[in-house]
Amino acid sequence: MQAQRISRARDFLTPAPRPAATATDLAPLVGTWVNFDVASRGIARVEIADRDGELIVRAWGTGSPEPCDWGETVGEAFTDGVALHAAVAFRAVYDFGALRVMLACYLNKRLLVVDAYSVFQDGSGRSPYFQRDHFYQR
Amino acid sequence: METLRCMRIEDRPAGETPAGKVDPSPMFGAWFNTDKNTGGVVRMELRESGGRFVVQAWGAGSPELFDWGETAATAHAANVGSREGMAFSAVYDFGFVETFLAAYTKSGILVLDTFNTFKDGSGRADYFTREFFHR
Repeated sequence: MQAQRISRARDFLTPAPRPAATATDLAPLVGTWVNFDVASRGIARVEIADRDGELIVRAWGTGSPEPCDWGETVGEAFTDGVALHAAVAFRAVYDFGALRVMLACYLNKRLLVVDAYSVFQDGSGRSPYFQRDHFYQR
Repeated sequence: METLRCMRIEDRPAGETPAGKVDPSPMFGAWFNTDKNTGGVVRMELRESGGRFVVQAWGAGSPELFDWGETAATAHAANVGSREGMAFSAVYDFGFVETFLAAYTKSGILVLDTFNTFKDGSGRADYFTREFFHR
Protein backbone atom coordinates (compact mmCIF):
# COMPACT_ATOMS: atom_id res chain seq x y z
CA MET A 1 0.00 0.00 0.00
CA GLN A 2 1.35 3.39 -0.96
CA ALA A 3 2.04 5.75 1.93
CA GLN A 4 -0.08 8.87 2.01
CA ARG A 5 1.82 12.04 1.30
CA ILE A 6 1.02 14.76 3.81
CA SER A 7 2.00 18.38 4.32
CA ARG A 8 0.65 18.54 7.89
CA ALA A 9 -0.93 16.17 10.40
CA ARG A 10 -4.46 17.06 9.28
CA ASP A 11 -3.83 15.63 5.82
CA PHE A 12 -3.52 12.11 7.23
CA LEU A 13 -6.51 9.84 6.74
CA THR A 14 -7.02 6.86 9.00
CA PRO A 15 -7.99 4.05 8.96
CA ALA A 16 -9.04 3.79 5.29
CA PRO A 17 -9.33 6.36 2.55
CA ARG A 18 -12.76 7.65 1.62
CA PRO A 19 -13.83 5.95 -1.63
CA ALA A 20 -12.72 8.09 -4.55
CA ALA A 21 -16.18 7.88 -6.06
CA THR A 22 -17.77 9.54 -3.04
CA ALA A 23 -18.58 13.10 -4.00
CA THR A 24 -18.71 15.96 -1.57
CA ASP A 25 -22.30 16.74 -0.57
CA LEU A 26 -23.00 20.27 -1.79
CA ALA A 27 -26.46 20.52 -0.20
CA PRO A 28 -25.40 22.58 2.85
CA LEU A 29 -24.26 25.38 0.51
CA VAL A 30 -27.10 25.32 -2.00
CA GLY A 31 -29.66 28.12 -1.95
CA THR A 32 -30.07 31.87 -2.04
CA TRP A 33 -27.95 33.85 0.39
CA VAL A 34 -28.72 37.49 1.19
CA ASN A 35 -26.39 40.01 2.83
CA PHE A 36 -27.41 40.88 6.40
CA ASP A 37 -26.08 44.39 5.90
CA VAL A 38 -28.47 46.31 3.69
CA ALA A 39 -25.90 49.14 3.52
CA SER A 40 -23.09 46.84 2.34
CA ARG A 41 -20.93 48.19 -0.48
CA GLY A 42 -19.78 44.69 -1.41
CA ILE A 43 -21.81 41.68 -2.50
CA ALA A 44 -25.58 41.92 -2.14
CA ARG A 45 -26.65 38.35 -2.84
CA VAL A 46 -25.25 34.95 -3.78
CA GLU A 47 -27.07 32.03 -5.34
CA ILE A 48 -25.49 28.61 -5.16
CA ALA A 49 -26.68 25.58 -7.10
CA ASP A 50 -25.69 21.94 -7.46
CA ARG A 51 -25.73 21.29 -11.21
CA ASP A 52 -24.89 17.65 -11.84
CA GLY A 53 -22.37 17.69 -9.00
CA GLU A 54 -20.82 21.02 -9.98
CA LEU A 55 -21.03 23.93 -7.58
CA ILE A 56 -22.44 26.87 -9.54
CA VAL A 57 -22.07 30.29 -7.95
CA ARG A 58 -23.87 33.46 -9.05
CA ALA A 59 -23.23 36.72 -7.23
CA TRP A 60 -24.66 40.22 -7.41
CA GLY A 61 -22.55 43.22 -6.46
CA THR A 62 -24.13 46.22 -4.79
CA GLY A 63 -25.12 48.94 -7.24
CA SER A 64 -27.62 51.64 -7.95
CA PRO A 65 -30.29 51.59 -9.18
CA GLU A 66 -29.86 47.82 -9.62
CA PRO A 67 -27.39 45.30 -8.18
CA CYS A 68 -24.69 44.27 -10.64
CA ASP A 69 -25.17 40.70 -11.87
CA TRP A 70 -21.77 39.01 -11.92
CA GLY A 71 -23.08 35.94 -13.75
CA GLU A 72 -22.19 32.36 -13.03
CA THR A 73 -18.87 30.79 -12.17
CA VAL A 74 -17.93 27.28 -11.08
CA GLY A 75 -16.79 26.97 -7.47
CA GLU A 76 -14.86 24.33 -5.57
CA ALA A 77 -16.45 22.85 -2.45
CA PHE A 78 -14.57 21.84 0.70
CA THR A 79 -15.42 19.68 3.70
CA ASP A 80 -14.29 20.05 7.30
CA GLY A 81 -11.76 17.19 7.06
CA VAL A 82 -10.24 14.57 4.79
CA ALA A 83 -12.73 11.84 5.80
CA LEU A 84 -15.88 13.95 5.68
CA HIS A 85 -18.51 14.46 2.98
CA ALA A 86 -20.58 17.53 3.80
CA ALA A 87 -19.48 20.79 2.20
CA VAL A 88 -18.72 23.56 4.69
CA ALA A 89 -16.87 25.99 2.44
CA PHE A 90 -16.18 26.94 -1.14
CA ARG A 91 -13.85 28.98 -3.25
CA ALA A 92 -14.73 30.65 -6.53
CA VAL A 93 -13.03 33.10 -8.87
CA TYR A 94 -14.52 35.82 -11.06
CA ASP A 95 -12.27 37.30 -13.72
CA PHE A 96 -13.88 40.41 -15.19
CA GLY A 97 -10.76 41.46 -17.09
CA ALA A 98 -10.30 44.76 -15.29
CA LEU A 99 -10.82 43.04 -11.97
CA ARG A 100 -10.27 39.57 -10.55
CA VAL A 101 -12.20 38.58 -7.43
CA MET A 102 -11.53 35.45 -5.42
CA LEU A 103 -14.36 34.49 -3.09
CA ALA A 104 -13.26 32.50 -0.04
CA CYS A 105 -16.42 31.43 1.74
CA TYR A 106 -17.46 29.22 4.64
CA LEU A 107 -20.48 28.32 6.73
CA ASN A 108 -20.56 29.37 10.36
CA LYS A 109 -23.64 27.94 12.03
CA ARG A 110 -26.23 28.85 9.38
CA LEU A 111 -24.40 31.99 8.32
CA LEU A 112 -22.41 32.16 5.08
CA VAL A 113 -19.26 34.25 5.42
CA VAL A 114 -17.92 35.60 2.13
CA ASP A 115 -14.40 37.01 2.05
CA ALA A 116 -13.68 38.73 -1.27
CA TYR A 117 -10.04 39.22 -2.32
CA SER A 118 -10.09 41.68 -5.23
CA VAL A 119 -7.20 42.57 -7.52
CA PHE A 120 -7.51 45.25 -10.23
CA GLN A 121 -5.84 44.48 -13.54
CA ASP A 122 -6.67 47.72 -15.34
CA GLY A 123 -3.78 49.96 -14.27
CA SER A 124 -6.21 52.28 -12.49
CA GLY A 125 -4.05 52.39 -9.36
CA ARG A 126 -6.81 51.01 -7.19
CA SER A 127 -5.43 48.83 -4.39
CA PRO A 128 -6.11 45.13 -4.17
CA TYR A 129 -8.55 44.91 -1.30
CA PHE A 130 -10.22 42.57 1.14
CA GLN A 131 -13.88 42.71 2.04
CA ARG A 132 -16.02 40.51 4.27
CA ASP A 133 -19.78 40.13 4.17
CA HIS A 134 -22.22 37.89 6.08
CA PHE A 135 -25.27 36.26 4.52
CA TYR A 136 -28.43 34.52 5.69
CA GLN A 137 -30.28 31.91 3.70
CA ARG A 138 -33.57 33.03 2.24
CA MET B 1 -12.09 61.01 -18.38
CA GLU B 2 -12.29 57.24 -18.54
CA THR B 3 -14.95 55.59 -16.41
CA LEU B 4 -13.56 53.01 -14.01
CA ARG B 5 -15.15 49.61 -14.29
CA CYS B 6 -16.92 48.67 -11.05
CA MET B 7 -18.66 45.47 -10.05
CA ARG B 8 -19.91 46.80 -6.70
CA ILE B 9 -20.01 50.16 -4.91
CA GLU B 10 -16.80 49.49 -2.95
CA ASP B 11 -14.82 49.34 -6.22
CA ARG B 12 -15.25 53.12 -6.64
CA PRO B 13 -12.47 55.24 -5.13
CA ALA B 14 -13.73 57.87 -2.68
CA GLY B 15 -11.11 60.36 -3.90
CA GLU B 16 -7.63 60.49 -5.35
CA THR B 17 -5.82 57.16 -5.11
CA PRO B 18 -2.40 57.58 -3.47
CA ALA B 19 0.61 56.57 -5.57
CA GLY B 20 2.39 53.28 -5.01
CA LYS B 21 1.53 49.72 -4.15
CA VAL B 22 -0.03 48.16 -1.08
CA ASP B 23 2.55 48.00 1.70
CA PRO B 24 2.58 44.50 3.21
CA SER B 25 4.98 45.42 6.04
CA PRO B 26 2.26 45.88 8.72
CA MET B 27 1.82 42.08 8.47
CA PHE B 28 5.54 41.22 8.54
CA GLY B 29 6.87 38.98 11.28
CA ALA B 30 6.41 35.57 12.85
CA TRP B 31 2.86 34.40 13.56
CA PHE B 32 2.05 31.46 15.86
CA ASN B 33 -1.13 29.38 15.95
CA THR B 34 -3.21 30.07 19.07
CA ASP B 35 -3.97 26.31 19.19
CA LYS B 36 -0.82 24.55 20.40
CA ASN B 37 -2.30 21.19 19.35
CA THR B 38 -3.23 22.14 15.82
CA GLY B 39 -2.96 19.57 13.07
CA GLY B 40 -2.80 22.35 10.51
CA VAL B 41 -0.45 25.29 10.16
CA VAL B 42 1.72 25.76 13.26
CA ARG B 43 3.41 29.00 12.35
CA MET B 44 4.05 31.43 9.52
CA GLU B 45 6.58 34.07 8.66
CA LEU B 46 5.63 37.01 6.47
CA ARG B 47 8.46 39.04 5.01
CA GLU B 48 10.05 40.60 1.97
CA SER B 49 12.41 38.36 0.03
CA GLY B 50 14.13 39.42 -3.18
CA GLY B 51 11.82 42.39 -3.50
CA ARG B 52 8.70 40.22 -3.21
CA PHE B 53 6.20 39.78 -0.43
CA VAL B 54 6.43 36.14 0.64
CA VAL B 55 4.96 33.79 3.18
CA GLN B 56 6.67 30.77 4.70
CA ALA B 57 4.51 28.31 6.60
CA TRP B 58 5.16 25.24 8.71
CA GLY B 59 2.63 22.40 8.90
CA ALA B 60 2.07 20.26 11.99
CA GLY B 61 4.24 17.13 12.06
CA SER B 62 6.20 14.89 14.37
CA PRO B 63 9.04 14.81 15.25
CA GLU B 64 9.63 17.80 12.97
CA LEU B 65 7.29 20.37 11.50
CA PHE B 66 6.77 20.35 7.72
CA ASP B 67 8.59 23.35 6.31
CA TRP B 68 6.50 24.42 3.33
CA GLY B 69 9.12 26.88 2.10
CA GLU B 70 8.47 30.31 0.68
CA THR B 71 5.74 31.26 -1.72
CA ALA B 72 4.80 34.63 -3.18
CA ALA B 73 1.84 36.39 -1.59
CA THR B 74 -0.45 39.20 -2.72
CA ALA B 75 -1.12 41.91 -0.16
CA HIS B 76 -4.59 43.43 0.12
CA ALA B 77 -5.70 46.67 1.76
CA ALA B 78 -9.02 47.40 3.46
CA ASN B 79 -10.31 49.40 0.47
CA VAL B 80 -9.30 50.61 -2.98
CA GLY B 81 -7.82 53.87 -1.67
CA SER B 82 -5.68 52.42 1.13
CA ARG B 83 -2.04 51.38 0.79
CA GLU B 84 -1.82 49.63 4.16
CA GLY B 85 -1.71 45.84 3.85
CA MET B 86 -4.10 43.98 6.15
CA ALA B 87 -4.80 40.75 4.25
CA PHE B 88 -3.07 38.43 1.81
CA SER B 89 -3.61 35.48 -0.47
CA ALA B 90 -1.08 32.86 -1.57
CA VAL B 91 -0.92 29.36 -3.02
CA TYR B 92 1.24 26.32 -2.24
CA ASP B 93 1.29 23.53 -4.79
CA PHE B 94 2.80 20.40 -3.25
CA GLY B 95 1.96 18.22 -6.23
CA PHE B 96 -0.34 15.87 -4.36
CA VAL B 97 -2.30 18.72 -2.73
CA GLU B 98 -2.80 22.37 -3.55
CA THR B 99 -3.31 24.69 -0.60
CA PHE B 100 -4.77 28.12 -1.09
CA LEU B 101 -4.17 30.57 1.77
CA ALA B 102 -6.61 33.43 2.38
CA ALA B 103 -5.78 35.49 5.45
CA TYR B 104 -6.58 38.81 7.10
CA THR B 105 -5.51 40.65 10.21
CA LYS B 106 -7.80 42.19 12.76
CA SER B 107 -7.04 43.61 16.21
CA GLY B 108 -3.57 42.05 16.28
CA ILE B 109 -4.80 38.58 15.30
CA LEU B 110 -4.20 36.95 11.94
CA VAL B 111 -7.02 34.71 10.70
CA LEU B 112 -5.95 32.09 8.17
CA ASP B 113 -8.33 30.12 5.98
CA THR B 114 -6.89 27.27 3.93
CA PHE B 115 -8.63 25.59 0.99
CA ASN B 116 -6.98 22.23 0.30
CA THR B 117 -7.50 20.28 -2.93
CA PHE B 118 -6.04 16.79 -3.29
CA LYS B 119 -4.73 15.82 -6.71
CA ASP B 120 -3.36 12.34 -5.95
CA GLY B 121 -6.50 10.22 -6.29
CA SER B 122 -6.16 9.12 -2.67
CA GLY B 123 -9.86 9.59 -2.01
CA ARG B 124 -9.25 12.21 0.62
CA ALA B 125 -11.87 14.93 0.66
CA ASP B 126 -10.84 18.45 -0.25
CA TYR B 127 -11.02 20.34 3.02
CA PHE B 128 -11.16 23.77 4.61
CA THR B 129 -9.51 25.04 7.78
CA ARG B 130 -9.76 28.26 9.76
CA GLU B 131 -7.06 29.05 12.30
CA PHE B 132 -5.99 32.00 14.40
CA PHE B 133 -2.46 33.35 14.90
CA HIS B 134 -0.72 35.77 17.23
CA ARG B 135 2.69 37.36 16.91
